[in-house]
Amino acid sequence: MSLQISIREGIKTITRNGSLFFLSLLVVSISLFLLSLFGLVTINLYYSLRILDEKIEIIAFLDEPADITTLKSNILKIHGVRDVIYVSSDQALKELQRELKETEEVLSIFEENPLPASLRIKLDADYRNAQGLEDISGKIMLLRGVKETIYGGELVDQLKKITKAITAFDIGLLLIIVFSVIFVIFQTIKLTIFARSREIEIMKLVGASASFIAVPFAFEGFVQGFVGGLIAFVLTIITYQIAVVYFFGELYFHFWWFFFGDIACGIIFGIIGSGVAVQRFLK
Amino acid sequence: MISFNRVTKIYQKDWVGLKDITFQIKQGEFIFVCGPTGAGKSTLLKLIYKDEDPTEGIIKVLDWNLGTLRKNNIPQLRRKIGVIFQDFKLLQDRTLEENVAFALEVTDIPPRDLRKKLMETLTYLRLSHKRFSYPFQLSGGEQQKVAIARALVRDPYILLADEPTGNLDAKSSQEIMNTLFDINYKGTTVLMATHDLKLVKKMKKRMIYLEEGKLTTHN
Ligand SMILES: Nc1ncnc2c1ncn2[C@@H]1O[C@H](COP(=O)(O)OP(=O)(O)OP(=O)(O)O)[C@@H](O)[C@H]1O
Ligand SMILES: [Mg+2]
Repeated sequence: MSLQISIREGIKTITRNGSLFFLSLLVVSISLFLLSLFGLVTINLYYSLRILDEKIEIIAFLDEPADITTLKSNILKIHGVRDVIYVSSDQALKELQRELKETEEVLSIFEENPLPASLRIKLDADYRNAQGLEDISGKIMLLRGVKETIYGGELVDQLKKITKAITAFDIGLLLIIVFSVIFVIFQTIKLTIFARSREIEIMKLVGASASFIAVPFAFEGFVQGFVGGLIAFVLTIITYQIAVVYFFGELYFHFWWFFFGDIACGIIFGIIGSGVAVQRFLK
Repeated sequence: MISFNRVTKIYQKDWVGLKDITFQIKQGEFIFVCGPTGAGKSTLLKLIYKDEDPTEGIIKVLDWNLGTLRKNNIPQLRRKIGVIFQDFKLLQDRTLEENVAFALEVTDIPPRDLRKKLMETLTYLRLSHKRFSYPFQLSGGEQQKVAIARALVRDPYILLADEPTGNLDAKSSQEIMNTLFDINYKGTTVLMATHDLKLVKKMKKRMIYLEEGKLTTHN
């Protein structure tokens, strides 16, 4: 059987059962939209958690004056240190002023800049916990020119626990949603094919091969998945825009990931769904 | 061409459809399968196109032993057999023409030959004027003729006709009978199930008579 006939039959299958097709298209679109929306939430959650995690750092206040270059290179040699950023006392003041506009008067009381110069020490991911912070900070304290270090300590571990709980909850929810979406899409496609079980039976009796019967249905599933994925993607973009404008101001979103993700999920679910459903009649 | 060797068909709950049936049919024969309602006529035909499998016994059709015929080869068997179903089995979402064409589309016939053969058959059965109608827009007799057209359009080796005149008036019945004889004359083996004994007696053809699943008369 040629592909041409399959596609023609597939298109006819859709037009012959228009209302059934649109009904299940609607279900596929909405399901994929939900999935994609949850994907958006998850990605943003992970994104913010990562930013939060990267903010875990050690600040080392320096003696005045200190040999910054040597100190920097010595700190960088410590295992677990990723980066060291020098913040001069002037910079520190400017930053503080930027962050706390209201305190300008308070700061103006001081004749001189009261803030010491410091080094911001960024750590490798594995060391961003209470133990790691303590170890590295201990090593830094031994270096000449370091007056004092501060870091999150216990608080960091608390944060890690909360992050873990949120992540687990999110993954659990994601799994539930993925399975529900797959279930709903499969059931809907199955129903539309069951509605045509008599037709399939007749095709078999007239001598149609399994592929002759299955391919148009798979094509229908393909179209349904493709269009459904596209609709889901458009709905996701609209929701994203609304969320950005009215609620969050800024959200992480990857156009092509979502575009291909929605369409790929749609096509895969569509083809497999109709394939599995029609298979029952071809035994 | 078709042979039944001690074939028994028992439906679920020990309901006997056919009991110990043995007969042979040679190529080009015309055979009536007769008997009262529920005697097993449709069952016998269903066994030939492997819609049902026998509980016991061996059935051979064309060159195939149906007991060992693989599932993927069933379409091959069915494409060589034209079946006029007792309940027509038309595809409700397709027009008359599409219904008949479907029987050709499942084979590998080139599109041009398909058109030609389709037109020939529709003209032959005088269905052309209704070719864009859907089954529900046709009368019982017209639907029957569509079922016949679909069975004939492939020039089958074997034609199985299950009560093909059941819904037709005397004149149309005669037309259909003439059509079947015509097909048979061109070389197709024809099995026709009917409970119209009067019609059968008139025709002077070979007959298999079934009663409660048993073969009682065979001439
Ligand atoms: N799928 C089935 N399941 C159970 N019993 C069946 C099935 N098909 C047929 N039968 C039974 O087998 C017997 C023979 O049925 P069959 O359809 O072959 O009769 P028939 O001779 O064609 O009758 P009719 O003249 O009414 O068409 C009947 O008693 C029927 O109830
Ligand atoms: Mg019958």
